[in-house]
Formats: sequence, structure tokens, C-alpha cells
Amino acid sequence: MAETKHWKGSEKYLCDPDLAQAFHMARSLGMPLLIEGEPGTGKTELPIHYAKDRGLDLEVYPVGSKSNVEQFVARFDHVKYLRDSQIEILNAQREEKGLESKLSTGDRNPESLADYVVKGPAAISYSKPNSVLLIDEIDKAPREFPNDLLYALSHRKFIMPESGEIVEVSEEDMPAIVITSNREQELPTAFKGRCIYHYIHFPEKDVMGKIIEKHHPGLDEKVVKVGLDVFYHLRRLGLERAPTTREILNWLKYMSDIAPKDAIEKIEGLEGIGALIKTQADMERVNRMIGAGDNFRPSHN
Amino acid sequence: MLSSLPESFRKHGLQADIRTLLILRKAMQKGLIKTLGDLHNALRGIIVKGPEDIGPFTKAYYEYFLHIPITPGQTLEDAILRSETFKQWKTQYIDEADKDTDLTEEDLVSAFLDQVHLTSYDIKEVVSGKEIWDKDNPDQVDEDSKETDDQPAERMLDKMADYSDLSLEELLERMEKVRNQQRTKHSGGSHWIGTGGISPYGHGGAAKNGIRVGGQGGGRMARKVIGDKNYFPVDKDALLNDNNVDAALASIKGVIEESAIEKLDIPTTIKSGLKRGGLFLPELSSEKYEELKIIVLIDNGGYSMAPYVKSVQQLFRKMKTRFAHDLEVFYFHNTIYDRVWIDERRSKYISIEKLLMYNKSYRIFFIGDSAMAPYELSALSIQNIQAIVKKFKKSVWLNPEPLKYWSGTYTIQAMKQIVPMFPLTPRGIERAVREMNTKSTEG
Repeated sequence: MAETKHWKGSEKYLCDPDLAQAFHMARSLGMPLLIEGEPGTGKTELPIHYAKDRGLDLEVYPVGSKSNVEQFVARFDHVKYLRDSQIEILNAQREEKGLESKLSTGDRNPESLADYVVKGPAAISYSKPNSVLLIDEIDKAPREFPNDLLYALSHRKFIMPESGEIVEVSEEDMPAIVITSNREQELPTAFKGRCIYHYIHFPEKDVMGKIIEKHHPGLDEKVVKVGLDVFYHLRRLGLERAPTTREILNWLKYMSDIAPKDAIEKIEGLEGIGALIKTQADMERVNRMIGAGDNFRPSHN
Repeated sequence: MLSSLPESFRKHGLQADIRTLLILRKAMQKGLIKTLGDLHNALRGIIVKGPEDIGPFTKAYYEYFLHIPITPGQTLEDAILRSETFKQWKTQYIDEADKDTDLTEEDLVSAFLDQVHLTSYDIKEVVSGKEIWDKDNPDQVDEDSKETDDQPAERMLDKMADYSDLSLEELLERMEKVRNQQRTKHSGGSHWIGTGGISPYGHGGAAKNGIRVGGQGGGRMARKVIGDKNYFPVDKDALLNDNNVDAALASIKGVIEESAIEKLDIPTTIKSGLKRGGLFLPELSSEKYEELKIIVLIDNGGYSMAPYVKSVQQLFRKMKTRFAHDLEVFYFHNTIYDRVWIDERRSKYISIEKLLMYNKSYRIFFIGDSAMAPYELSALSIQNIQAIVKKFKKSVWLNPEPLKYWSGTYTIQAMKQIVPMFPLTPRGIERAVREMNTKSTEG
């Protein structure tokens, strides 16, 4: 029976209750959970921490512009098959000539087609009941990929290419499938229709405070507060690339080695701000809007 | 039961069909839905397919399940306060709670939302946190000491737990009954929140003891709904702005074109080569790829356009993150004479001749209010715009000016004759793209 107890996050990962509910619902229904949201809202972290926390096997498929369903499910290694078949012929010829030494085909046998099937994350996780399957950044994929995936996911069954081997999973043992997207392209309606959808909003200040607490538990409260003020102020400037969770965590990590009093000064002086601002244009903008006027003392305004 | 749900959600531009109901039913069977808040969250997971759907979904949900219509531009809070549902709920809430009547409207809406959005997860949290609650909350008990004798906190919590076991069928049946009653307008005081069994508080239990279940659950939701712009309905006919730019993006995606190229197919080559006994002949397969060629011409001169330039740029920048090389943006002031500018400050430019040298498969989006002094729309200008439209068959003009003023502006009328014109709204963009797609670039 599938693991469907309600999961609310772990020591390291703060799971938004709405997201936790959506995840629970998706697992109970045996449907994939599609998570969208700004970068840095912890989309990818959910399945990783969930698998770790519950001690489940995790398969990850990072999607790219060349992704196809073969890579995802399984493909037949034609090149290796060709090589091994040629080796068979060569070995036969060598034998005819009375040569003893043989070329090796590893443990593979061209007679057994299953030896040449390279299983992808989907086939692997479907053959392990109760695992976790992460399909990361599906919006990077070519347009037909989500639709191909759809068929694969809704049938709970894969037929391996050439060998005809069947990998099947019951509804109870369905892996928990999490799909993430940064919304760089719109996904097909039919695809979305077969997923439970959740949009993660960027965390508010108080939630972000908790997230920081989980990552850097020892950090001085005041440092966090001042850091958050600066961070959310920067996000409101409308930068080309607004700083995200990852960046504030890095920035504050750097500050955690410094005495709180100095750290606050450094933060207010926007020191090490390169950790937060990622493009030259944004940097110029920040300098223009904050640096020049020297009026940025968030705690006083 | 609920059979009218897909239809009424579709009216709000959402994707809902028989599958929605099937998934919902399955969710019910799995015991995922026990409160109205659960129903909201589950339906949202099933129906919402993007942040731009959240607004319409909220609108549809409130209208369908709560009979709270939200008119365009109205805030949720306002809609709730004006609704009949809320008025009835309020009477009973104050009645049962024995509360001081000087609760602010804000408090009341917040309490209402707490009840409406309370999920069974919140209830479980409260129940499991019961011991902590008992220990940690002497203040609350003191405050209401008169009441505690007949209604101890513990019993109330039990009640909540019981409530979470209430069958959904029952819940929905009651809801449907009330729906019908309300429709016939002689509901006679029987309304669903509170006595209907939907309220997690039953008959005024929790409120009496001053327990706010929503402390972490419902209340959070309420604040979110009220404070988050994402929860406000996106009006597809509203002019392009930061809030509906995602909806516009969805409409404009229709301009992507697919084509195919030939490519060496290694697996097939090897397979057929082996069949031929080692004679390998290249086998080709066609591979699809997407193409997007857009030229955007933005009128960024004058104050009338200033509010829209940013949203338009944001819209196309979002497209550009994916199609980096095929999107060109130029600027003009009021109308196009012999050049268009490359930069926003209009210091560098290219001539119209150069613009006309782009491949004819480019699509052109003119974006401007087309409002200018009539003399500005000179023969030269008209000629150049005509030349652009002639060369690039897929040209449209998106105008931020509200449709009703179009007929009153001479230059808009004149421009409309040359370039097909649509309002700069998500729906207008959708129509513009559809119009473009019917045209061929040939000829």
C-alpha cells in the first residue's frame, strides 16, 4: 500500500500547508502533482526532502530542451547492440582462423534484447513500488514532450522498446510523481488536466524567517530581521531578476560567521550584495536607487 | 448533484468538464474532502491550471458554492460584505457567539473566511494540538469563565473531530438543498453556514470559548485571500497590467509556429543496416521545431502610453526568455515616419527600408493608442505603415485605449483602416493572434 500519510515538511524543509495538502491529494489519487511558481520557492525541494524524510527511493529526471519520452522511460541502445553484433561476427571469424582470444561484449548477449534496454527514471521508479519520481523543470522540454508523457503516466504501464518487457505498477504502489515548472512555456491543457496543480507563491516575510531558521538555526534574530528587510526591499524594486530564497540563504550564511553587530552594519551597508543581485543592469539600478542616496536604513524608515 | 458545476465554472473561462467531477468524486471516496475548505482546495488543485486561473476560480467558487457574486474590479472583501449569504451568516454568528456586536466588519469577514476555508487538516492540527492548547491557554478560559462550565474546551474539540468525520455526501446534499431553497427565495431562516452542518463550529461551540481554530489554518487562508492580488479575479477584458500579464502571455503563445527539419535517424539506420547484413545507408527522419518570429513596435512617446509600456515590455520579455533570437522590439512616437528606434530613449534607429528587409514571416505587433493630432498622420506615415502591413501579412495593432473611445478619435479610425486593431487586453490579444493565424504569409 502506498505511503499516503499526510506529510507536512521536515526539519530542513518548511512545507506550506496548502502545498502539503495538494501533495497529499495527488498521492491519494495516484496523480502527478504539478508545481509551478517563481524560481526559489522550493518546488524541487519538496520531493527531495520528502523522499529523504520518509526514506523512499528518489528518481530524478531533469528536463532539458532535448528531452524526449525515450530518455524518460527507456531507450534501446542501438549503438551498443551494433557493436556487440559486430563483435559476435568478428569472434566467429577469429575462431575460424584458429585464434583463441576473444573480444568481450561485457555481460551482454545480442540474443537477449533486454540487455540493451537502458531504463530511464520513469521505468526505474515504476518498478520500485512506493518511490518518488521528480520531473524537474518540464517547461524546458520540447512541446510534444508533455503530451507524450501524459500517455506514459496515465497508463501505469511501460512496454520496453525492442525487448517487449513490461514494467507495470498498481494504483496503490504508484510512485509519488512531482513535476515542476518555471512557466517558461505554457503546458498543454490536456497535460495539466491530468495533474493536480499547485502554484507556489513567493513566501511572505514571516514564512521566509522560518525558512532561514531551518537552514541557519544559529543566526541572530536581529540579523535575520534586517536581512529580510533589505531582501524584500530589493524584491520590490522590480529588478530584472529578483533575488530568491537561495540567494538570501547564501547571503545570510556569509553573515553568520560575523558578529551580529557587525553583520547588521554590513547588511545595512549592502555589503556582499552580489550574492543577491545577479545582473549588471540590476546592480546599476540598485546603486542608483539605494546606494547613491545613502538613505537605505530600513529599520529607521 | 453538482452536475451544473462544470458549466458554471466554464462561464468563468476555466477548464472544467466531466473529468473534473470524476476526479472530485475519487477525492471524496478517498476521504480527502470533509469540509468546505477541503472542497475549495481540492477543486482548486483540479481546476486551476495557472496563476491566472486563481482569480477566476475564486470568483467561480464563491459564486457557485457561496452565492457571493464578485463583480469586475470589486474586492473579495467588498463582495462578501454586500452578499446575502454573509448577512445571514452574520446574524447567526453574532447570535450564537453571544459576541459583542461591535466587531468590525473586517473581523467579521475574517471570521467568515475562517469558517469557509477551514480544512480538515486544520481541524486535525487543532485536535492533535489539544493538550498543548489546554496547557497554553489559561487566558482564554479566564476571559470566558462564565461559559466554560457548560461548554468545556475539550468537548468542543471533540465536536470538531466528529465534524471531520461527517460524510461528504451529506454535506453536499445539504448544500444542494440550501442552494435550491435560496434560489426560490423563501429560505425561511434555514441557511447553510452554522446550522447546515458545514460550519465546523456546529452550534456555536467554538466561538463561545473564544477559540479561533483559524489561528494557523483558516485565518492564514483568510488573510491570504484578502491580501493577495493573485486571489482577485483576473478580468480578461481589463487592460494589460502587471496582474493579468500572465493571462495575456497565455493568449499570445498562439503565435508560435511549428515546422520540421530532416535529421539523420541513427537507430533506424543501424537497424535497417543490420537487416541488410551490414550495409549501412543513412535513414532520415523529420524533427519538429518551433519558430517564433515577432517584431514589436511600441509607441513610447507621450504620457498617454507611459502606463502600458512597462506591461507590454514585461509581456514580451517573458516570451523572450524562451525565444531569445526571434523577437525584435522597436519604438516609435505616435506614428511611424521613416524610421523606428532601437532603444527606449529613441537615440539609435533603423530606417523603414531596413525594417522592411526582415523576412516576411515575421509577425508585427503595433502597440500604441494611435491618438495624435490629425496632421501627424501624414501621407508619408500612412504610406510607410501600409508598406509594413503589405510586406508582413501577419500584422496587428493592439490599442490600450478603451474600445468605447475608438469611434471618437479620428486617427484611431484612420489607423484601423490600415492595420487590424484590437484592444490591449488578454482577450484582445487572443483575438489578434487568432486573426493573425488565419492569414498566410505568402502572396
